[in-house]
Amino acid sequence: MTQTESADIIVVGTGVIGCLIAEQLLDAGHSVLMLEAGPRVERWQIVEKYRNLPPVTVTNLDAAYPPSRWAPFLDSTSATTAADYLQLEGPNARAYRQDYVRYAGGSTWHWAGICWRLTPDDMRLKSLYGVGRDWAFDYATLEPYYTRAEYAMGVCGPSDPDLQWPPIRSKPYPMGRLPFGPGEQKFTDAAARLGLKNLPAAQARNSGVSYDTRPPCCGNNSCIPVCPIGAKYDAASSLPRIEAKGGKILVNAVVYRIETGTGNQVQAVHYFDPNGQSTRVTGKLFVIACNGIETPKLLLMSADTRNPRGVANSSDQVGRNMMDQPKLVAAVTLAEPAWTGVGPVQGSSIMQTSQGAFRSEHAGALLRFNNMARSRLGAMQALKTGLVGKALDAEIRRLSACTAELTLEHELLPNPNNRLTLSSKKDALGIPKPNIYYDVGPYVRKSAEIYSTPLVKQLAHEMGATDVKVTTEFTNSDHIMGGMIMGADPADSVVDVDCRAHDHANLFLPGGGAMTTAGCGNSTLTMAALALKAADAMVAQLAHA
Amino acid sequence: MEESNLNALRVSRRLLLVSTALAGLAAAQPWWIQAAAASDDRFMALSRLLIPHQLDPEVGRRIAAALHADSAPFSNQVDALLTLARDKKAAIVEDFFPFASDEAKQAALQIISAWYLGVVDNAPDAKNIAYELALMFKPTSDVMTIPTYSISRPNGWSADAPPLSIMPVF
Repeated sequence: MTQTESADIIVVGTGVIGCLIAEQLLDAGHSVLMLEAGPRVERWQIVEKYRNLPPVTVTNLDAAYPPSRWAPFLDSTSATTAADYLQLEGPNARAYRQDYVRYAGGSTWHWAGICWRLTPDDMRLKSLYGVGRDWAFDYATLEPYYTRAEYAMGVCGPSDPDLQWPPIRSKPYPMGRLPFGPGEQKFTDAAARLGLKNLPAAQARNSGVSYDTRPPCCGNNSCIPVCPIGAKYDAASSLPRIEAKGGKILVNAVVYRIETGTGNQVQAVHYFDPNGQSTRVTGKLFVIACNGIETPKLLLMSADTRNPRGVANSSDQVGRNMMDQPKLVAAVTLAEPAWTGVGPVQGSSIMQTSQGAFRSEHAGALLRFNNMARSRLGAMQALKTGLVGKALDAEIRRLSACTAELTLEHELLPNPNNRLTLSSKKDALGIPKPNIYYDVGPYVRKSAEIYSTPLVKQLAHEMGATDVKVTTEFTNSDHIMGGMIMGADPADSVVDVDCRAHDHANLFLPGGGAMTTAGCGNSTLTMAALALKAADAMVAQLAHA
Repeated sequence: MEESNLNALRVSRRLLLVSTALAGLAAAQPWWIQAAAASDDRFMALSRLLIPHQLDPEVGRRIAAALHADSAPFSNQVDALLTLARDKKAAIVEDFFPFASDEAKQAALQIISAWYLGVVDNAPDAKNIAYELALMFKPTSDVMTIPTYSISRPNGWSADAPPLSIMPVF
């Protein structure tokens, strides 16, 4: 017999979006049940797993998170394991190999913590540059939610407006900026000589003080894959608080169907436990927030007679417009040390290169210095030379200090052909795997060719590079956006201005999937702002019910 | 200063004295006396000749076990290297390594690599022997953080860094 569960609000997913919404709804006095596909683990378990990995996995950022059998995700251990779950096709299939974690807390465990806002121009691409789409509201509408998200997550950032991005704020950051290490300072100085400003990043990391029960950052330099002390916002600190407020969290509960009923309202979701035992969960409002890939997958899987193309999909836009910031990387060798591994793994970016009249012709790009400690990379490379003794030590020190990685992240336009569909291949529970067609398109390619790559080479030489190699194959930035695109018109968008499905009055689809355009910055803060806007709408909706 | 810090200081001072005394003993004692002991000791003796740094005996035991250092083929190379070092009156690796056979060199590099990387086979599924004690972090330990470990304090780091030429002592 089918078991049942119930609450006012059913939240599918326990990442940043699910947690922010759950907490706000609990504070408003509603009952909340959260469903998480993956297992729940403790911080120390991830830290120990990471410390016990061989150095060769240093660039495999998901190695500390083995997927469970019932909630699979990308496993980058080898080319074979990486091809197992996400079915990728198209000219830039490799660039959609997105890392995310299906554990309680979601990908907040292993995000870098960077919290850029979009700019007013980022939200008006169509009217300003004739490309992409315009958002259904302007920056001024989003700004109060950005501020609330920064205070909810504990975001530090510069108090000097000259160093803020964008410097249009209703309140200061809750904490001041974090210091730079030598590498980011060297990058900043080189940029300044070229007339570019490398900005201290807004980051959900405690700066100098404790915030929201979390300690200040001590520069452990492992934000990705895990902050060992919990100084960075991760949902691991939200989950116990949600439980303390009366929220219920069910883990290893893989939602596989959204059930609609009278008036096309959502009546229930159904989940499998790891053994395939099904449970039906009813509620008043439903939030599907299991990231930009898993959410459209679930909507498409839930097709029924009322919604033959999938739930929320009368527009046929579910799973389309898949976005990210296609990434290129410059491997740089320097005559003098740059040094990495001092402070967090990321702490700054050049943002002004994302803006400009050129956006009618090609994408802008964010440029940044990767601050992950290069000691292991230097040692592995030096040992291959067969050096011993003092010469070996000197070469490890030189290679660790005098090499660097500069990253370029490009703005991708929403394109309906970049599309997630259901693969005929199934996972262990018989759930279809996601299939994604991905082409970064001429807008990004032209940027790489005439704008971003020449710019990063100039920057590298200004830093004193003796050798610069820029990749030509785009890779993933793990900023999954677009699959439930927001808009005012139900004919060409999936959700309204509150992330409510146009087709279902009690279904909310907040997060990266709802973003209308991507910008060049990391997407989390915009996702969080949209989540808080959706939470306000949900509270209001329940009050009027 | 708090009592616990004082104690820590006393302990570390004692440790320093003991290790200095041991180092003195090791220097005074001909290396081949150490080498003549059990295979673990021979492995450690060779490791000390190959790597001019303080080596943790427990890590050494684990590396020796993982390399099957007591197996005949490996043991033969250990012996060959120890003999060569004795013949060359070697005090440091540079004194004898260039003269080793290709096979012996390969064994020596395997031992060095294991001490530096903390694994004997650097494959994705390899079992880690050492992380924070792996020597790969040491040549940059004055600047770079061992990921997950902190060498700073809240907002205590800066853009200052010592020159490349000053190698940390380890």
